[in-house]
Amino acid sequence: MIRDTLLANLTLALNGSGIGISSELPWSAGGEALYSKNMKKVYLDADQEAQTELFNCLNPADDVIQREISVTGYLAVDAKNPNQTQIETALSKLSLARSAVANCYIKEYTVTNSTDDDRLIYEFTYRFLTI
Amino acid sequence: MAYINVNSTGKFVKLDLVATGADFSSNISAAFAANANVSTVPALQDVTLNATPGLFRWQQLDSASEYVLTTPSTNSVAVTLVLDDTTFFTGTGSTPGIFALVNAKTLTYFRLYWSGTATGSKYVQGKGYLSALAPTVNPGSPVWTSPITIEVVGDYEQGTV
Repeated sequence: MIRDTLLANLTLALNGSGIGISSELPWSAGGEALYSKNMKKVYLDADQEAQTELFNCLNPADDVIQREISVTGYLAVDAKNPNQTQIETALSKLSLARSAVANCYIKEYTVTNSTDDDRLIYEFTYRFLTI
Repeated sequence: MAYINVNSTGKFVKLDLVATGADFSSNISAAFAANANVSTVPALQDVTLNATPGLFRWQQLDSASEYVLTTPSTNSVAVTLVLDDTTFFTGTGSTPGIFALVNAKTLTYFRLYWSGTATGSKYVQGKGYLSALAPTVNPGSPVWTSPITIEVVGDYEQGTV
């Protein structure tokens, strides 16, 4: 699974950065997500996959099928006192982690952020296309 | 009346090629009798069969419309396909791969099945030269695809499996 590749890469890349990474999925307890409770720790969700036809052939057995795999991750930090240098370094490493995934011809990364009470939550999504 | 449907199993369009160097001009069906040398072109995306009689037109002062006579036809089969490495580079038996057939300008016998190969299925066959090979690939579509045209020598032959 691509999540495992990203997890292995980020475990090494974030080591010593002050931002951790969990092997757990971002589950919720009592309505509160784990990544919200445990700040400065990256949580990666399970792979989401869609298969579409890249090339449609007269014999469907010859169709070229494209797999789109996306992995969403979360990182929450203290919105009152964010360590901007630390966060930017971590986001840079999160962005570079997409290169660790082999055999994909599209490797994209997007990140958005939102505030939830006193937490700044980064939600990032990796998107990969392969045949 | 029934449409020529190609979207169900056993009804798919099929294009076979044979180019062993032997002369099958007098009996093209014999080329396709031995399966060992028949190269089936996989991953066809579209097929166009062109049959265009030449026309000679003239006008006469005693007629309000043109007269027409036919002259020799121009026939061709144009396909687009996703390239398969075996069919493209190696071929089957004594029939070379598609690239070699184009590069060497080899006379090639072809048989196009309209809708499957079950008994009673129709086909058209003939001989010609492969041309218009233009493989292309790009980062957003990372498999090679190409058009190919078979410039047909002489007439088509119709047949039934």
